[in-house]
Amino acid sequence: MESVGKSVPRKESFDKVEGRAKYTRDLRLAGMLHGKLVTSPHAHAKIRSIDAAAAAAVPGVRGIVTGADCQELTGELLADRPVLAYRKVRYYGEPVAVVIADDEQTAWRAAGLVHVEYEVLPVVSSPSRALLPGAPLLHEEVEKYKRYGDVYPVPGMNIGNHLKIRKGDFQSGWEAGVVKVECYTAFRPSDHIAMEPRAARAEILPDGEVHIRASTQAPYVIKRFMERYFGLDPGQVVVHVPFVGGGFGAKGAVQLEFIAYCASRAVGGRLVEVSNSREEDMISSPCHIGLEAQIKMAATPDGRLTAAQITLLWDGGAYADMAAVMAKAGIDDCTGPYRIPNVWADSLAVYTNHTYATSFRGFAHPEVTFAIERTMDLLAKKLGMDPIALRLLNAIGPGETTPTQVLLDESNIGNVPACILRLRELMDWESGQRVVLPNGRIRTKGIAALWKTSSTPTDAGAGAVLIFNKSGSVNLMTGVVEIGQGTKTALAQIAAERLTIDPSLVHVSFEVNTKTNPEHWKTVASSSTMMAGRAILEAADDAIRQLKYNAALVLQVSPDELELAEGRVFVRGNPQRGFLFREIAMGYESENGLTVGKQVIGRGSYIVKLTRLDPETGDGRPGPQWSVAAQGVEVEFDPVECRYQVLRAYTVIDGGVIVNHRGAVTQMMGGMSMGLSWATRESFLYDNQERVLNPQLRFYKITHFGENPDMVVDFVQTPYHEGPYGARGIGEYGTIGMAGALANALSVAAGVELFQLPLLPETIWRARGGGSVHDPV
Amino acid sequence: MIPFDFDYYRPDSVGQAVELYARLRAEGRNPIYFSGGTEIITFGRLGQLVTDAVLDIKSIPELGALGRSGDHLVFGAGLTLNAVAESGLFPLLGDVARHTADHTTRNKITLGGNLCASIPYRETVLPFLLTDSYAVVAGRQGNAWVSMHELRLAPGELLVQIWTEQSAARWPSVTIKKTKQDEVDYPLVRLALVHDGRGVRAAFSGVCEAPFRSWDMEDALNTPGVPLETRIAEALRRLPGQVIDDQLGSADYRYYLLHHSLREGMSALEGGGR
Ligand SMILES: Cc1cc2nc3c(=O)[nH]c(=O)nc-3n(C[C@H](O)[C@H](O)[C@H](O)COP(=O)(O)OP(=O)(O)OC[C@H]3O[C@@H](n4cnc5c(N)ncnc54)[C@H](O)[C@@H]3O)c2cc1C
Repeated sequence: MESVGKSVPRKESFDKVEGRAKYTRDLRLAGMLHGKLVTSPHAHAKIRSIDAAAAAAVPGVRGIVTGADCQELTGELLADRPVLAYRKVRYYGEPVAVVIADDEQTAWRAAGLVHVEYEVLPVVSSPSRALLPGAPLLHEEVEKYKRYGDVYPVPGMNIGNHLKIRKGDFQSGWEAGVVKVECYTAFRPSDHIAMEPRAARAEILPDGEVHIRASTQAPYVIKRFMERYFGLDPGQVVVHVPFVGGGFGAKGAVQLEFIAYCASRAVGGRLVEVSNSREEDMISSPCHIGLEAQIKMAATPDGRLTAAQITLLWDGGAYADMAAVMAKAGIDDCTGPYRIPNVWADSLAVYTNHTYATSFRGFAHPEVTFAIERTMDLLAKKLGMDPIALRLLNAIGPGETTPTQVLLDESNIGNVPACILRLRELMDWESGQRVVLPNGRIRTKGIAALWKTSSTPTDAGAGAVLIFNKSGSVNLMTGVVEIGQGTKTALAQIAAERLTIDPSLVHVSFEVNTKTNPEHWKTVASSSTMMAGRAILEAADDAIRQLKYNAALVLQVSPDELELAEGRVFVRGNPQRGFLFREIAMGYESENGLTVGKQVIGRGSYIVKLTRLDPETGDGRPGPQWSVAAQGVEVEFDPVECRYQVLRAYTVIDGGVIVNHRGAVTQMMGGMSMGLSWATRESFLYDNQERVLNPQLRFYKITHFGENPDMVVDFVQTPYHEGPYGARGIGEYGTIGMAGALANALSVAAGVELFQLPLLPETIWRARGGGSVHDPV
Repeated sequence: MIPFDFDYYRPDSVGQAVELYARLRAEGRNPIYFSGGTEIITFGRLGQLVTDAVLDIKSIPELGALGRSGDHLVFGAGLTLNAVAESGLFPLLGDVARHTADHTTRNKITLGGNLCASIPYRETVLPFLLTDSYAVVAGRQGNAWVSMHELRLAPGELLVQIWTEQSAARWPSVTIKKTKQDEVDYPLVRLALVHDGRGVRAAFSGVCEAPFRSWDMEDALNTPGVPLETRIAEALRRLPGQVIDDQLGSADYRYYLLHHSLREGMSALEGGGR
């Protein structure tokens, strides 16, 4: 292949490096108003009254919107969330009102003058506490909320969605097992910290057309939701998305867009921007989900898994929104990439008084993988088996079925054992998992195996349009958002490959405009290259058909006799008889000026073929294919202070055929870095009223550039027959196994089993008994 | 964004600065000296600090002083932490400064701003406490010499310089910083030790609510004829207050790290130091 598989530099790099790429807030517009959020200082309270008179009196204030003005309830599957809190606040930082003013400063100042009277309510602090009898209810009548799809809230409880897997016969599988382990892991919500905080602008034109410009991964979902919640004709909603400064799932949720729209509605349709400060982005907009997981596994004495019981209690925060979907994604692949014939699993999107959650890179998989991979290591220890051998023995593959009973074949799943074996080699596993250095420090290795399917809605799809320039180069339009992942370059490579031209001749549209770019479900789920790639292949084939039609007219041959190479269409066996694209793409102009043929416009689309899951057993097809990976971490641990350094991190991924090699390597590196940052330090801290103590980067730490370990990335390339040139998907995978691999390595180093994130030195010190005796020294 | 409006002044001399401050105060204004601005900006955007007049003091010549005067070293309060560290004049101060914030931020943070910050760590004060340094403080009555042990500024007083004896700046020293996880973070423990030729001096940040030097603890650490472990244990009994217990680290863990750091630091110092 000429283009696919090459390391083509990203097309947007120069603009970004020179600071010229434009993001949502970069365009300064005269006459634009600014909305500033008034947020709740309590995690759970009744709103007694809102007195906005003083704020309204500030010169320059144009309007104030409260929950009473926009009572539409929103939510991906379960509509439980008001655009602005109404009568009740359910998390610390929840938007209660928005003050609209001529400039940001005035809005900010006036927002401080909105006086809200609250009656504080008891809080729900964790999923397990939320389920205790007598726990305060966040939503009194959860069953009355409107549902959009398969969602199963539990009346009278803090449960927004309850999903089940019942595969095989758990009881007999459990009894057949001889060696059993039980593992309880937990961590609290955290944040994505995308470099660009979320921002949205909305304007309602006099003719009723609504324009939204936002930092989002889901422009077409915004369009659909504006119809769903506000009854707008989707033809009258135009969403514009320039470059997005990192998303990581945070921008797959729709929130500020609704607020900006309601704000614009309140000021006669004028353009209003509502954008987050860093602090608001952390606690007022949806965050990274927390999880309490309980895993039980049984195996035969030689290590074959016979049964697993898996309970996932997601800390979805105050509203079900994407947590209800993550509960599904988490259970779809809940066993990890292992062959477990008997599975009993429950996944609950639980309400707590935390910021509500949304997708985070890996979509429920980093979280579940942490639990599963800790359990696998516990089991290996109990069996006295090498952790790699245990994983190899149980690796899932063709001929077996997933938890939702999809039959796997040579194409729809990557090669798990090949990834593990390559990892073993790269990590020099044979040289030992634990070494004590002369200075007393301990070097250890830990691994995790993982898989993931997309868990998209059953109608997720993509479209592509290819048009030609007079020079013969092409413009490629899709609805994919460029969030720093480099997809657009990979898509250009796919188009170039099919059209037999250089990728530099494929110009991609970076800005998405939902009025002109064909629909793309969302730029999430590591699915854009696969879905849009398929649509592009169809569009390219469509264009090729038209090019051949034009050429055939002129050459007086049948289109079947024509062939394509190096940007030319020519007669098979007679390459001289033919035309460059530029001679025929706009029709062929003969010497006397007479033009024959047509302008070439290629179009293509793709829709995934999925099915819904059975509510009682979970049977169904949640995604088209499974990319798989094995990851490892090497640490050096100081047993005195329990501090450690991550020396190296490894990923071997089978993401099918790799379209852009260097791009894929950097995606894995970025993913590992993100996974390690989360695992080593990221978490919200709460006081006993569930107010966030660290809603700012001074105290919420993420890894800095330069703190990354050495990273090793390799690929296994099992083609996915449906994917473009055999590609699967890779975007999220680097993140997924890091927490599990790190916790496994540190558990071996520290000599105690570590079940909580983040893995702070103090946490490890405590797990080893520090602080438990009177004199801790 | 800073949500409030303020006037910006840049006085050229110490006298102008204190006069201007006093005048603004008299007018009912709420002025603030602005040095590196890192605290003012980060607190200001959160509404935790409000001012209507900032007096940028960095162009006052005396605040940029750096060098020797007689047998003293002179550090202007307006020097950035990077400038202090790179000067190499006072190795212990340089070591402390180099591990405060990140390099980019240290291009902004000033010595005076760190010494006067409201964040309770103020790590750069430790080397000055250990060397019995003096501060030059300007008020409306003129300049005053204030021992670093007694440095408390009244509103409107300006920290101009800190003077340290050159010989003291060359004492063998050790400093250790322990954080929650990240290299760039406030300390769970910051320990600074020097040996003045007769005995060890010790100062701490991150341990109790304010940075401190403890003569009591030093006595314990210097007790002749007693094994190190016993001296440290006794020193720890003489901590001047409760150990901090907060979101960065529990009191238990801080205490544990403090103990370990003391052991590490004392061994290094008694074994030679820097
Ligand atoms: C990312 C980051 C990490 C940090 N880590 C640490 C750390 O680990 N340890 C640590 O000790 N510090 C640390 N700091 C620095 C600390 O938090 C303060 O921000 C800093 O010390 C303030 O210095 P400044 O020069 O910017 O002061 P400014 O913000 O200008 O002023 C701070 C205060 O001091 C007053 N002031 C300043 N100069 C004078 C003067 N000459 N006379 C009288 N009053 C004056 C001001 O009026 C103001 O009240 C960190 C800062 C950041 C941003």
